[in-house]
Amino acid sequence: MLTSMNCAKKIRPLLLLLFAWLAVILPAAPAAFALDGNEILARVDRNLQPESYEMYRKLINIEPDGARKEFVLYTVKKGREKMVALFLSPASEKGRATLRLGDNMWLYIPNVGKPLRITSLQSVVGGVFNNADILRLDYSAEYEVSRIEEKGDTYLLDLKARSGSVAYDRLKMTVDKQALVPTVIECFAVSGMLIKTLYYKDIKDFGDGIRRPATIETDSPLYKGYKSLMLYAKIAKRELADEVFTLNYLPRVEELR
Amino acid sequence: MSRSSFRAAWLLLCLLSPTVCAGEEFGFNLAEFEKKELEWGGYLELKGEHLELHENSALGILRFYRDRPSTLDRFSTTLQLDGSFSRGAATLNWVLQGSAAQDDADWEDTAEVFEGYASLKASPHATFDLGKKVFKWGKGYAWNPAGFIDRAKDPDDPEQALEGFIGAGADLIKSFAGPLRNLAFTAVILPVWRGINEDFGDRDQVNLAAKLYLLYRDTDLDFIWYTGNSRSSRYGFDFSRNLATNLEIHGEVAHIPKQPKNILQPDNRVELREVTDTSYLLGVRYLGENDLTTIIEYYHNDDGYSEEELGRFYALVAEGYSRFLSSGSTTLLDQAAGLSQLYGRPQAGRNYLYARAVQKEPFDLLYFAPAITAIVNLDDRSFSVSPEAVYTGFTNWEMRLRFSLINGGYHTEHAEKQNSSRLELRLRYFF
Repeated sequence: MLTSMNCAKKIRPLLLLLFAWLAVILPAAPAAFALDGNEILARVDRNLQPESYEMYRKLINIEPDGARKEFVLYTVKKGREKMVALFLSPASEKGRATLRLGDNMWLYIPNVGKPLRITSLQSVVGGVFNNADILRLDYSAEYEVSRIEEKGDTYLLDLKARSGSVAYDRLKMTVDKQALVPTVIECFAVSGMLIKTLYYKDIKDFGDGIRRPATIETDSPLYKGYKSLMLYAKIAKRELADEVFTLNYLPRVEELR
Repeated sequence: MSRSSFRAAWLLLCLLSPTVCAGEEFGFNLAEFEKKELEWGGYLELKGEHLELHENSALGILRFYRDRPSTLDRFSTTLQLDGSFSRGAATLNWVLQGSAAQDDADWEDTAEVFEGYASLKASPHATFDLGKKVFKWGKGYAWNPAGFIDRAKDPDDPEQALEGFIGAGADLIKSFAGPLRNLAFTAVILPVWRGINEDFGDRDQVNLAAKLYLLYRDTDLDFIWYTGNSRSSRYGFDFSRNLATNLEIHGEVAHIPKQPKNILQPDNRVELREVTDTSYLLGVRYLGENDLTTIIEYYHNDDGYSEEELGRFYALVAEGYSRFLSSGSTTLLDQAAGLSQLYGRPQAGRNYLYARAVQKEPFDLLYFAPAITAIVNLDDRSFSVSPEAVYTGFTNWEMRLRFSLINGGYHTEHAEKQNSSRLELRLRYFF
């Protein structure tokens, strides 16, 4: 009897410790799960592009009859929320530049002179890509993972916008488990309507440890029969001064090349 | 070529030139876009216009009092060349424009250096400019009362290139972490000497203009100041902010404590008065769910003329024309012609509303943008309304078809303009 009481006395603190540990761990379990999703998203971001970089892209709008219009952009980004894109081609758009600082976006048109504030839902190029697609920040800067699911070789991430000022309220992102880059992203409005689908294709080694899809294709139920592509030709790490991402610097972005 | 040998050739091409094969049949040869020291471009514009003239309008009479047509056809062509030459931290920039126009009455041609300046970028924080440059200060789309060292833009076509002024300027930028994210200071020295900036104001003066820009809590703020003896001193402020992803508001105010103003008196004398002007503008830009962008601006032009003052000018022209018909005397018409730079300028009145709606790509028609623009004089309720359609679907071509109806009641601003309507077809080729 005495022995069993002594045993119980010895076990009680261990049980108390176990309950205390469970009490701490159990409520935190969903958060820990969500954190995994956010970690995956952060790794997806880093695999898609370095935090600070310069990049050359071509945008191609394809009409149902096969007619095409192409735009070439030079882009620089710094940190989580600073980005500038300069149009190099076609001649009718050359010199136009867009600046993004977090939720703020401006468009500089050489003839107009002063930069005009624009919105993320507008499109400076026409077609399916809008300004938010062209001046896209890290996904983890604008979205948090609300749900994660494993399906074969992929993760399915449900992303919810961190604020109402983000172009798409929700994203459904399919991530290649091995490469940790997106393969398909569906973009939804607040109403739940599908606005567009982005297809990430052609994984390519850009050097300096950057291995990511070189093509993004998009279609939209709002533009039936139309298709837009974004081709990446160069992505390289580059350190830039904060002052490059200001309205006064916009007319001089070309000098960075 | 057999299928296997074609595949081998394609694979070899991809290995030799990976950027060519970035995406299926779509190529991207980066070498084509390498930066060159000399960059140049521009556009060639052809424009045809058909104008229906107002019967007995003041500005129509001043131009055609000897022989008055009821319509006018005009054909014009414009060539703009712009470019830059960069070496190290220095860049030379230029915008040159030449145009020629022939209408039923006159031939007109111009060739201007719109911009031509050297720019020295000492660091991302500091740039120095010397030469002829356009500044475009202010946040308004159609009007910029705080654009103290800019030429007035045409609200009918606010995106047209304008001619700059010659000066020397410094631009200093600093970024921060925190609610104040960017701070920029721009200072410009603007001389007015013989042959230099003579149309800016009084000669043999050196003027100074400065602008302090802040991006504070996601709001653009500008404090603008001008002093010098070519024009009277003036102070300005503007702001711009996105209230939502699809809604932007902006405004600007300009205060001129002592502004000389020529005012036509009832007895046709012109009296020079010193007045205090405070002009302001408030505007919104809204993007609707169906891609309809609307810009609305209210402009109070304190430097403008009241309905009564404008009426005196129109009465002077009518009296002058009557005297010309009866006696052949052009004295009063000559006086009115001298005043037309003030009373006949665009938006010579006090209170205006500008509204523009642009529908992007309706019915899934890519690169097609119909729009309608209205400018209303809120005092006399005269107006111009211009529906238009722009198509940019062919690479480097822009086509614009525009019709303007310009009208109002008796002795109102828009009814006294030269034409009552204008049909315009504009074609631009960019290179």
